[in-house]
Amino acid sequence: MAGTIIRRLVHMIAVLFGISVLVFLIFFATPGANPAARIAGKNASPQTVARVERQFGLNRPLPVQYALMMKKIFITRNLTSYVNLGEKVVPQVFKAAPVTLSLVAGAAIIWIVVAIVIGAVAAAFRNSWIDRLLMVLSLIGISMPVFWVGTMANLFTQGIWHHTWLFSWVPPLGYVDFSKSPVLWFKSLLIPWITLAILYIGLYARVLRAALIETMQEDFIRTARAKGLSERQVLLRHALRCSLVSVVTLFGLDFGVLVGGGALLTEVVFGLQGVGYLTYQALETLDLPMIMATVIYASVFVVVSNAVVDILYAAFDPRMRLRR
Amino acid sequence: MRRVAATLLIVACLVAGRAHANAANYGGTLRLITTAGSGSFDPQINYTERYWEIFQAMYDGLVTFAKTSGPGSLVIVPDLATEVPKPTDDGKTYVFHLRRGIKFSNGEPVTVQAVAHSFRRLFKVNNPNAGTWYDVIVGGRTCNAHPHHCTLSGVVIDAASNTITIHLRHPDSEFLDQLAVPFGAILPADTPDHDMGTQPIPGTGAYMVKSYDPSGGIVMVRNPQFHQWSRLAQPKGYPNEIDYKFGLSAESQVTAVENDQYDWMFEDVPADRLNEIATKYTRQVHINPLNWFYYAPMNVNIAPFNNKDARLAVEYAVNRESMVKLFGGNALAKPDCQILPPEMPGYQAYCPYTEHPGATWSAPNWPLARAYMKKSGMIGQHVTVITEVQSPFRQIGIYLQDVLNRLGFVADVKPLSSNIEFNYIQNTNNKVQISVTDWAQDYPAASDFLNVLFSCGSFRKGSDNSINISGFCDPAIDTEMAHAETLSLLHPNQANAIWSHVDHQITRRALVVSLFSVAKLDFTAATLKHFTFSGEYMFLPQLAVVK
Repeated sequence: MAGTIIRRLVHMIAVLFGISVLVFLIFFATPGANPAARIAGKNASPQTVARVERQFGLNRPLPVQYALMMKKIFITRNLTSYVNLGEKVVPQVFKAAPVTLSLVAGAAIIWIVVAIVIGAVAAAFRNSWIDRLLMVLSLIGISMPVFWVGTMANLFTQGIWHHTWLFSWVPPLGYVDFSKSPVLWFKSLLIPWITLAILYIGLYARVLRAALIETMQEDFIRTARAKGLSERQVLLRHALRCSLVSVVTLFGLDFGVLVGGGALLTEVVFGLQGVGYLTYQALETLDLPMIMATVIYASVFVVVSNAVVDILYAAFDPRMRLRR
Repeated sequence: MRRVAATLLIVACLVAGRAHANAANYGGTLRLITTAGSGSFDPQINYTERYWEIFQAMYDGLVTFAKTSGPGSLVIVPDLATEVPKPTDDGKTYVFHLRRGIKFSNGEPVTVQAVAHSFRRLFKVNNPNAGTWYDVIVGGRTCNAHPHHCTLSGVVIDAASNTITIHLRHPDSEFLDQLAVPFGAILPADTPDHDMGTQPIPGTGAYMVKSYDPSGGIVMVRNPQFHQWSRLAQPKGYPNEIDYKFGLSAESQVTAVENDQYDWMFEDVPADRLNEIATKYTRQVHINPLNWFYYAPMNVNIAPFNNKDARLAVEYAVNRESMVKLFGGNALAKPDCQILPPEMPGYQAYCPYTEHPGATWSAPNWPLARAYMKKSGMIGQHVTVITEVQSPFRQIGIYLQDVLNRLGFVADVKPLSSNIEFNYIQNTNNKVQISVTDWAQDYPAASDFLNVLFSCGSFRKGSDNSINISGFCDPAIDTEMAHAETLSLLHPNQANAIWSHVDHQITRRALVVSLFSVAKLDFTAATLKHFTFSGEYMFLPQLAVVK
């Protein structure tokens, strides 16, 4: 067990190092991205630009700048933004995390529940019109870009139908803290949850259906039927549990990516200032410290969620435990 | 003379304004919305329209631009000083008498020491214009070279008479303008000598910051120490609170203002929403002229635009009316051929690059454009248009590409992130041939366009800060501009005539394709009343009535 953890940690450090070096080099290789010129302001004199360079250490060799930046992120935690000068990026990322977590967790509950229902129904009615209808709907869900769905949702809920009984309850775009008003928190997130979930409902329903159909051909299913179990029990208690392994793999990765900032488009469209929104703003303004902090944060989540998926495998599939 | 006339206008505005100054208008919360924060919250550092618009309600300089609407808003009035001083010593000395009894929001009194500290601080915190504006103060150059040992000998204070005497190296007609912008804010004497970043500094204005989060927004409340000493310089303000929230795209801002979820949006209304707001929300739309123009600088140092005929070909071929449509139509933009915008002192309408040369642009002149193109010998030359990704820059870039191709160039267009483009096109190392950008006034002075954008001093090879993007340098024109600046102080009419001459000369050199000058469209909630637009600061949030 200790060996696994150490292996994971080394893996994580290697990933973080690789990604951070890449981000750093891309930034400094971009012409026009010189932070000193932008910090100094338009029409600043060369002396002013030179002083800003010295002040921010931008005149030092790149490896030194990289090392200092990593030190400020991981050790002193006082790395400040190049755009909103004085804004410490690490606390900002941690402050944005609950927004993203609220969005992703709510959406995840919706997409898992709905996808399991759709996947199971489609598998149970395999090749019938119900199956075909559900799979076509799933494909449509996968095909619609999330920013388009979000914009359309806003068009109806904030725009043309905002003053009708249907959507008059929808609050202004933006995040309301749970501690401030749980009801408003729920209302402000419901549309974003559904928007984000649509893609994954389609994806997971299709994956689950395929896994269920494959599992239903297995020997242990035949045994279960031979024992005299009803078809419903076979599907839900035996086949579904086994088929969830593939869904869990996907979920672990998707959840990690989304919590790490992958829900960027949804956050931007709905004005939710989570980690994705921070990343978007940082990319828009070329704020290297913020880009670095959000990228490292995202990488940590992806690596950690991978590890969690491995552990969950064992819980779902007894064969995994036996292999150990 | 200009200022006297304008003062009369101010009085008129003031009388009109008083109609609104009844007790029922005071109170309420003004809700503002924008996409994101805008950098350091230090008024001596921040150089963005977004924060200048609110700094003016929180900070005061010795002088300021009158907080009113119309032409009067471009007039300098006394603020923390008792009056606007007339320069002595051939324009090199200004004596300011400081008002007594004014306190910062933290309770500290405003003293001459605080004034001197604020001037020295400009150099110590690397103010963007420390080396271009404020080094005119005696000792300023030394402060630029050694900011930590800055004493700024040109600023002499006398606590007994409560005066500040400022000595300049040479007469500077724009010195008062430069003191009146938020960089000239007077801050407490113990304000640290470094960029305060996200930590708001106490000011003397009607409002102070209650909370500031660069990713979330700003909450401004009334400054408990404030009492109104001059309605024009720092009015008391109507709302009790101003909430400025960050985080919505321009599209979402329009919808939010329509739904009365916010009172005003900072971003320009996207072109695809203009028709909707103009037809459905006409009364909530406010359009005001602005000293702001869009242009396409051509690099006069590299091919093909080191050839004047090639530049002239482009000048004659560009259809300015099409550009105006891309920006949102004639209500928001006017076709232009010259550098100075119509509201600027020294402006005299001039357009040689049109079908019927004269004062205004009428139509492109393709026969002449093709003739110049042929003469230039540049047919077949490859040209890349650098522009910003956002609207309308991208569309303008694509239009220019089409014009260049029709002329015989082989053109492509490269849209860059808005944050990169402005620095990218300035650096000679990037070998930019033609680009699309814009320029707005810092204050109403012709030199803020002509001198800043076309003087030899603004051209710095290999630097991201080389605002003379065309790379043009003519010492004779520099001399003429210097002469105009000297004259501006005592003979503004003569100076304006010279500025006009320079403007027309630079236009004839075809260094940039001047596209159009713009007006500012503000979109406000139906419940917002008494919208006031200043030619200097734009929307004055403190004068809006939301109750």
